[in-house]
Amino acid sequence: MTGRRSTRRRCFDCSRLLRKRAACALAVAALASLASTPQRASGQDGLIPELPVRELTLDNGMRLLILPRPSAPTVAFVVEYTVGGVNETLGSTGTAHLLEHMLFKGTTTVGTRDVETELRLFGPMDATHDSLLAEASATAPDTARIGVLEGRLETYGGLAQSPVVSNEFSRMLTRNGARNLNATTTSEATTYFVELPANRAKLWFVLESDRAHNPVFREFYTERDVVMEERRTRVDTNPGGLLHEVHLATAFLMHPYGVPVVGYMSDLERLARRDVEEYHRRYYGARNAVVAIVGDVVVDSIAKWAQDYLGDVRAGDSPPPVLAVEPAQRGERRVELVMNAEPQLRVGWRTVSEHHPDRPALTMLASVLAGRRTARLYKRLVTQDRLAATVTASTVPGSRFPGQFVVHVTPRAPNTPAQIEAALYEEIERLAVEPPLERELQRVRNQLVASGVRRLQSNLGLALQLASSVTRFGTWQATFERTTRLYEVQPADVQRVVQTYFTRENRTVATLVKRTEGSEP
Amino acid sequence: MGRTPHAAAALVILAAATAVTPDRAAAQTPRADREAAEALRFQPLSFSPPTASDHEIEGVTVFFLADHSLPLVNVYARFEGGFGLLGRELYAATTALPSLLRFGGTLELHPDSVDEQVDQHALQLAFGSSGGSTTATLNALTPNIEAGLRLWKDMLLHPRFDSVQVEVWRGQELESALRRPDDPGRLAFSEFNRLMFGDHPIGWEMAPDDLEPEDLSRATLLAVHGRILCRDNLTLGVTANLEWEDIEPQLRGFLADWPPCEAALPEPPVPDILDTPGVYLIPRELDQTTIVMAHRTAIRQEDSQDYFSSRIANSILGSSGFSSRILNRVRTELGLSYSAGSFWTTPSESDGIVGALTRTKAESTIAATRAILDVMEEMRRSAPERAEVEAAVDAASNGFSFNFQGAMQVVSRRVLHQAQELPEDWLERYVAGVQRVSPGDVRNVLRRHLDPDRMIIMILGDPSRFDLPPETLGEVTIWQVEGISDPGPRIGPHRN
Repeated sequence: MTGRRSTRRRCFDCSRLLRKRAACALAVAALASLASTPQRASGQDGLIPELPVRELTLDNGMRLLILPRPSAPTVAFVVEYTVGGVNETLGSTGTAHLLEHMLFKGTTTVGTRDVETELRLFGPMDATHDSLLAEASATAPDTARIGVLEGRLETYGGLAQSPVVSNEFSRMLTRNGARNLNATTTSEATTYFVELPANRAKLWFVLESDRAHNPVFREFYTERDVVMEERRTRVDTNPGGLLHEVHLATAFLMHPYGVPVVGYMSDLERLARRDVEEYHRRYYGARNAVVAIVGDVVVDSIAKWAQDYLGDVRAGDSPPPVLAVEPAQRGERRVELVMNAEPQLRVGWRTVSEHHPDRPALTMLASVLAGRRTARLYKRLVTQDRLAATVTASTVPGSRFPGQFVVHVTPRAPNTPAQIEAALYEEIERLAVEPPLERELQRVRNQLVASGVRRLQSNLGLALQLASSVTRFGTWQATFERTTRLYEVQPADVQRVVQTYFTRENRTVATLVKRTEGSEP
Repeated sequence: MGRTPHAAAALVILAAATAVTPDRAAAQTPRADREAAEALRFQPLSFSPPTASDHEIEGVTVFFLADHSLPLVNVYARFEGGFGLLGRELYAATTALPSLLRFGGTLELHPDSVDEQVDQHALQLAFGSSGGSTTATLNALTPNIEAGLRLWKDMLLHPRFDSVQVEVWRGQELESALRRPDDPGRLAFSEFNRLMFGDHPIGWEMAPDDLEPEDLSRATLLAVHGRILCRDNLTLGVTANLEWEDIEPQLRGFLADWPPCEAALPEPPVPDILDTPGVYLIPRELDQTTIVMAHRTAIRQEDSQDYFSSRIANSILGSSGFSSRILNRVRTELGLSYSAGSFWTTPSESDGIVGALTRTKAESTIAATRAILDVMEEMRRSAPERAEVEAAVDAASNGFSFNFQGAMQVVSRRVLHQAQELPEDWLERYVAGVQRVSPGDVRNVLRRHLDPDRMIIMILGDPSRFDLPPETLGEVTIWQVEGISDPGPRIGPHRN
């Protein structure tokens, strides 16, 4: 185990007095920047909080960030793996997300009364599933045989289920007072998190160690059905969700940003247990994981438990890189989604990854356009012209690769997406010709300072931020340094990125067109 | 029998671990499995829950808790009075009030000027309402609190109700009403409330008829404002990295000159809850069906054994996620749903409802509904396992410290408990109350207060794709929803 203390650790320590002083130091720095009206780069020092983060790297490569904050006797745990939808290929979309579900299914001892019986049944069950898939995709499927195989799969499933103690992993944590037990999968990361009473911190290490060493992917086919239901809720019956999916698929023809994290239905229907096991083996090594622990903890105890319980987790190989590069867009793309729902509009422009020097200006542009009621698009589309009910701007779907800057608008009836597009392009053109006003950016900067203080209030929020910063940028400080770069953005920078990226040839437009039930489009 | 793919993967894991840390014998790793987890013993938390002090300024109760962790001041204002108290004719104006306090400007400041000041002082403002109350919060960096309070007071006391912003709000609400059918969950739940509660505020949904321009005239808005935003309706909760003596003068300035309330607010209307079982169908061409069911219940929020038993019963039934039976059955065992659970409302002054909800593919609609009803019947028939009750109680007891994660959480709870006329130590009483609940108590409360045969079931989905006819659940009534085309001809045939 190698360990080092953050070089930024100066004023926080174990006594309450010093903690208080540190918080005030942060505030003073932040407020100094707020009080002045900075020109380029002045005043931004206060945007990087001085947090006593203890960093550890275990021998197996697992990185840990420990931040003691004894204000309430609770502690937040986050484990983030640098793997998500971009690590999938067509035909197996949804694997990362299904694996996230499976890691709540228990281990060789948690969630079962007889793991040997379970494991014995997995083989024939999976073989039956393979046969079923093969028969169903045959040129002339034998429906009688399909029926037999479905019955057999159900029988194996019932037998394998009998020793299972369902949801025991979650129940053990909940019984111990856990809150916010959950996980998320994005294009680029899979994140597991929970909060526990501070006196039960060791329980997390025992259960997480067991989960890392001995996972059992039981109840697999049932859980796959659950994920299909999740897709129906979030995408298939959700107009905004489906439009988002269609928009990405149109904008990204080659890069995996174009496929949905939840997976296409036809892929979900054929995912097999071994696909998920292989994915787990490939991507869930210790060197691909970052742990962040924030709360009322004794750092040395946490460090010892980390070494004891997580130190021999398999290091794993470095995940294969995502090699696909989306070719430059050579012309406007348009797509329509027809469904029984009111119109929506998404306009996206291909931009850059979060590591690109233009990214801060693009982020500030999102605030200038739609960050608040005084933002340009809100005033034009919602307040002045009353063309729209809502407007948002953001960069999707991830940060590691060049993504899309997307403006999403819900028209106000009876106005049409076409009317909104025209007004939107006028506002974009205005920024290309004339930079935003300094005071527009200054208002955003002011809120950056305050939000930097506010985001320190939640243990879980901070733990998520620290872990994400490491997986995205390499260091926990980077997320705060990014705020500094936002602070430095000048009006001319915003104008330049508009001129560079917001061209007709570089945009993709997705429109939801209403079809009433029973009628043709 | 050959080795399973899983076993092979486990071997790979062990091999890799050995290769990376060859000097780490397996014996050095502490045991990490269920037995080891269950053998852990934890020291009791040495923890003194922070308590808010109470004060009175200008006749207004102020709860205060110093919090020196960050240089922030939070002020939470709760006003008695919301859309549920002032009648349907004022529904739009009362609902619009929070948004227009925030975005409608003040007598002296145009809405844009308010926004400029909010950004200049880096304030965070939130305004909201429920049927019985209207709330506002101010979050400011400590050096900005004086300017923040000054602006906030102006916004609360002297609203401009700028006509452009009123029209923006009205347009957004009209659009929201138009788009209600686009969200199956929202549509089903709001229609279920309309079915159960009828013309009671819980059953209301904002409709174009509520949103005529005269419903939002300045005179109407001012009348609503005058009824709610007055001194006698107000309670404050404050946290700050300041001592009381330091913040008190500023709070005195904020609370000076608030007008007294001219008239007492009316009592909340008592709902006439539908109590006749049946199946109500909203036909809609969708891949996934939304199912909501409930019936009336007489349990009230109070310091009584029945109340505490109902909380544990609901937790085991379906309100505690993976620890509850409904999610376990419908999702984990059957794979029929991503989300499923129960609810049990317990107003202190009137009856509530107990029921469940889920979403499932059209082809398993009746199976999922039946599964929920079966769980209810099983829980009525026999007492839960003692371990289930203990787990539910432990979750509440062991998680007690999460009630004190932030000073604002403590203070806002005091404000709420005072409004609900709950004792100051309600949280402690609650934990003590649920700790007394036995499996027999759970069975008894469910036998008297939960009956699957009495369920009123609403189903939003495509009946032509259901696994069985909805009539298998009871007499079916087509529930008409304004804005959805006549669904009659599209019913049936049913797939078996």
